Amino acid sequence: MKYRIHHKTRYQYTLPVSHCYNLAYVLPRATERQRIDDIKIEVSPKVSTRVQHTDYFGNHFLQFSIEKDHSELEVSITSELSIKDNTGNINLDFGTPCAYVKYLLQNSKDWETLCAREFMLDSPMVQQHPDLADYAASSFSDDRPFLSAVMDLTQRIYKDFTYDPQFSDVATPLADVLKHKRGVCQDFAHLAIGCLRSLGYPARYVSGYLETLPPPGQEKLVGADATHAWFAVYSPGEGWYEFDPTNNTITGAQHITTAWGRDYSDVTPLKGVIFGGGHLPQLLVSVDVQRIADNYIFGL
Amino acid sequence: METRVDTSQGAFSYPSPQQGVDEAYDAEGQIRPYWRYLLHSLESLGHDTIEERQKKARRILRDDGATYKIYDEPDANQSWQLNPIPLLINSEEWNQIETGLIERAELFNLLLQDIYGERKLIRQGIIPPELLFSHQGFLRPCHGVKLAGAHQLILHGVDLVRAPDGQMRVMGDRTQAPSGAGYALENRTVMNRVFPSLFRDSHVHRLSLFFARLRQRLHELNPNGGIAHIVVLTPGIYNEAYFEHAYLANYLGFQLVQGSDLSVRNGYVWMKALDGLKRVDVILRRVDDVYCDPVELKGDSRLGVPGLLEVARIGHVAIANPLGSSVLENPALLRYLPAIARTFFGRELQIPSVKTWWCGNPDDLEYVCANLKDLLIKPTYRRPGLYEAYGADLDETKLLAWQNRIRKNPYQFAAQEYVAGAQTPTWHQGKILPRASVLRTFAVASESSYAVMPGGLTRVNLDTGKKIISNQRGSVSKDTWVLASEPEKQISLRPVDVQPINESGSALPSRVVENLFWMGRYAERAESALRLLRTVFIQLNRTEKLPDTVQRTLLSAVTHVTSTYPGFTSLQPALLKNPEPEMISIILDQQRMGSVANNLTAMINSAEQVKEQLSSDTQRVINDIGDELELLKTTLEPNALSAPEETLAPLITTLLAFAGLIHESMTRGNGWHFIEIGRRLERALQITSMLRSMLTARLDEVDQESLIESSLLCGEALIPYRRRYQNGIRIDQGLEMIMLNPRNPRSLIYQLIQLEHHFAELPDDHETFSTEQKLLLEATTALRLSNIKTLVKTTSGIRAELDQLLSRTQYLISSIAKTIGQRYFDHTEGPQLLVKNTHWQDQL
Repeated sequence: MKYRIHHKTRYQYTLPVSHCYNLAYVLPRATERQRIDDIKIEVSPKVSTRVQHTDYFGNHFLQFSIEKDHSELEVSITSELSIKDNTGNINLDFGTPCAYVKYLLQNSKDWETLCAREFMLDSPMVQQHPDLADYAASSFSDDRPFLSAVMDLTQRIYKDFTYDPQFSDVATPLADVLKHKRGVCQDFAHLAIGCLRSLGYPARYVSGYLETLPPPGQEKLVGADATHAWFAVYSPGEGWYEFDPTNNTITGAQHITTAWGRDYSDVTPLKGVIFGGGHLPQLLVSVDVQRIADNYIFGL
Repeated sequence: METRVDTSQGAFSYPSPQQGVDEAYDAEGQIRPYWRYLLHSLESLGHDTIEERQKKARRILRDDGATYKIYDEPDANQSWQLNPIPLLINSEEWNQIETGLIERAELFNLLLQDIYGERKLIRQGIIPPELLFSHQGFLRPCHGVKLAGAHQLILHGVDLVRAPDGQMRVMGDRTQAPSGAGYALENRTVMNRVFPSLFRDSHVHRLSLFFARLRQRLHELNPNGGIAHIVVLTPGIYNEAYFEHAYLANYLGFQLVQGSDLSVRNGYVWMKALDGLKRVDVILRRVDDVYCDPVELKGDSRLGVPGLLEVARIGHVAIANPLGSSVLENPALLRYLPAIARTFFGRELQIPSVKTWWCGNPDDLEYVCANLKDLLIKPTYRRPGLYEAYGADLDETKLLAWQNRIRKNPYQFAAQEYVAGAQTPTWHQGKILPRASVLRTFAVASESSYAVMPGGLTRVNLDTGKKIISNQRGSVSKDTWVLASEPEKQISLRPVDVQPINESGSALPSRVVENLFWMGRYAERAESALRLLRTVFIQLNRTEKLPDTVQRTLLSAVTHVTSTYPGFTSLQPALLKNPEPEMISIILDQQRMGSVANNLTAMINSAEQVKEQLSSDTQRVINDIGDELELLKTTLEPNALSAPEETLAPLITTLLAFAGLIHESMTRGNGWHFIEIGRRLERALQITSMLRSMLTARLDEVDQESLIESSLLCGEALIPYRRRYQNGIRIDQGLEMIMLNPRNPRSLIYQLIQLEHHFAELPDDHETFSTEQKLLLEATTALRLSNIKTLVKTTSGIRAELDQLLSRTQYLISSIAKTIGQRYFDHTEGPQLLVKNTHWQDQL
């Protein structure tokens, strides 16, 4: 699949901002199944400095600063990329059983497993908790293939929780999400990560986009898409696998990856410090995922 | 050199150790030869002399403003505590220690590079991944950020303790902003002054070379070429070790700045100076790393510089120690250090660490929980409110609470064998007593390796009940004398290019200038208020009772001049009848805006902010001001006011001494100009305010005279007036003296003339008149053109012309003050985060 993605983030301030320093995690990264063909970056007003870096997790981020008065900031990214759909090759019911995954996590000496252990630990926004372990427990048993158990957890979150953008914001704690069984994709990803870590498995947060399809017979609306988030788990020897609890699925060709980290705080799409700006700036985000080809040709 | 003094054994009153090791005694119970001279000398000095020297030391420390804040004790600044008996280390042992410390610094440098680079130690299974990944000092945004040169770790501090076997062990490392080197230097300076001959004859290694090497290394770190502009970044006056920051900055010749003095522009770090931005090349950091940049690190930090990490990342500023180095302070690393040393060096370290367990290891966790009462519990990441604890100090309930805490977050805790430390001769309660000691040492990257300060900061607990030695827990410090076996060779370092200190001081941070300005204003405000209050007390205490109108006018003037409304202006009969409580409140009530105490506290705070700009004489006078104010709280009672001169005079005199010192011993740079501008503006405002409240209303001749007399008395102009006009007191002559006489240093016009001179010296293009100069010109001209005869004229009981002139002058002077503020001081609004609350985790 080949996509063109427009991702526009705009801040409107109630008072002028005299200068600002920002970090943006809005550039898609190359993965095993994703190839970046082209990226265009536009920041308005004119930046004073702009540098692209690769972070600790291998994500690309953009650092920029603006040093003149402005009351509006717009970061606009247009990227073209190709994604391979390999969902067909995945069979979740034949794989390493949970007990063995745990054993390998403690005893494997390979670099990938050692690194994955970082994602078993608490992170700024996701802390382990017995309630999370309790909720997740019924999906896991020693003999069950680990990935099948994770799919079961994904499905349960999908069924038990209501998607409700009114309920939560960036700052809603996990305990509230679990208690009220409501939230958005970011909350569900954090919830799944919290469950897995509480049971002793490595899980990380993935941010990106999802191609949404219009109802049959209707034109797709431009800008109707949104940034999306899901999670990935690690099974030693098998690698990382991604699951989307908001949509009850493993990720496929419609999931476009921007960045990953321990949780949202590692990959916040646009953060920074502003001087001035007044209170309550208005944030407008628009995402448009456009399919420009149905096939995928590697090595073009 | 050991044939100094013939000392017979057993002559010392210092007791030999009952148990454990003692620095002064060898294993056979004999006083070590290198301690003999010192102990013998102390013996011959005798009790009274040592006490007197200790007093002298205290006084010097206080005059130098040497303080250390203990966070749990609300009583602001503690004086730095120096015990007069140093710790001695002979040169033979020091050589071993030095080699061991250099080796350790090298290892920690490699460790730091590995942690933020390849992470080979994890890859090879030398350390468990969780040891690093769970540590809050591991700052992922710092991954790959590097300083130029072979060393990432520039400064390394180590806490050494002597174990019962007589060997030194390392208890812990300080790697993010090791504190204590400045205190060690101050201790040395004081000891040198208090025991000059003892010091001279002991052949002690000097400390200065260490600081010269530090200065040189910081210059070498300059990534931008040219002559490096180096600053010391401090969290500010509320930090425990602020004295040291100011002291080191001065000693090294660097500027002391706070986060808000710096700004990132165009990919570089700049200091906001009086006349614009000055690029900063190297930062000696005394702010904890997570607080240094709210963009990428702790978002709610007000101590950092937004965007700083990115500037370090692109290599446009060097920060020492680099951001992220606090990861090395994890005590759990000590458990793995032998293996780490084998990996990097192929052998273990010469100075071993104290035995340490990490609760993240299941076996260690069980051991620690089972033996908690014998162990020192150490959080792996230091933060305020979470201190280490010694199991033996805890009762069952507390031990259990600790166990639960540890089991809940095992990764976050380490435990250490408790090593009491060797006893060392310590002056306490008039005797030389043995007290356990810990030594903080310092190494700095130098040339291709590290250089160790010969000496360090020794700390002891005077209270033998306290088991943990730490300044935060009230330990006292000692100088550390490394004894040279032969007279020290002079080593000179390759000279570094140093920026000539800008004499005019235009490179001062705006914040510093602003504080100097306010220091001048507050000092003058307090002084004017005191002069008026003293005058009013004198008048009230006259044998003949004051006419009501005069008393009312004088008291109202007190309220007007000090702006402590409503006060006497409410004209409540009870208040006017018994004015003393209100007047005392205007002097002493610290919480009351406008009171003398309030202004003096503000003045002392401003002075604290600019500590590094003030001489030690000035510091002493500021201490005196604080002391006199404290004293007033006990002496100023209603009955003491029958002799108000005696009661208030000492404080007024100290304020005058302060003004005199500023005038006589500060270089005429911008800093000085701003103190003086502040003082002159304030005095001009006080004069106009006093005159308006006392002399604009017309009273009968006798009352009038008494008010003019009071005004003259306030401005110290009564005697010159009488000398000049021998015809009694008249309104026109009085006004001439107070307002228009350019030779009276307390006249209104004199203040304006002085301001003219200062304005001409400020950084400016000087092509055109600045706003403040124009305002001043108007004020001066109006005064000069005024006619005394017209001014004293009254219509319906009011001197309208006079009031108008004074009110216009007051307005103009206030406008000048405002313009100065807008033009020269920093007005950046505080930063705010674009996305809030994404880092909830902060507590355990």
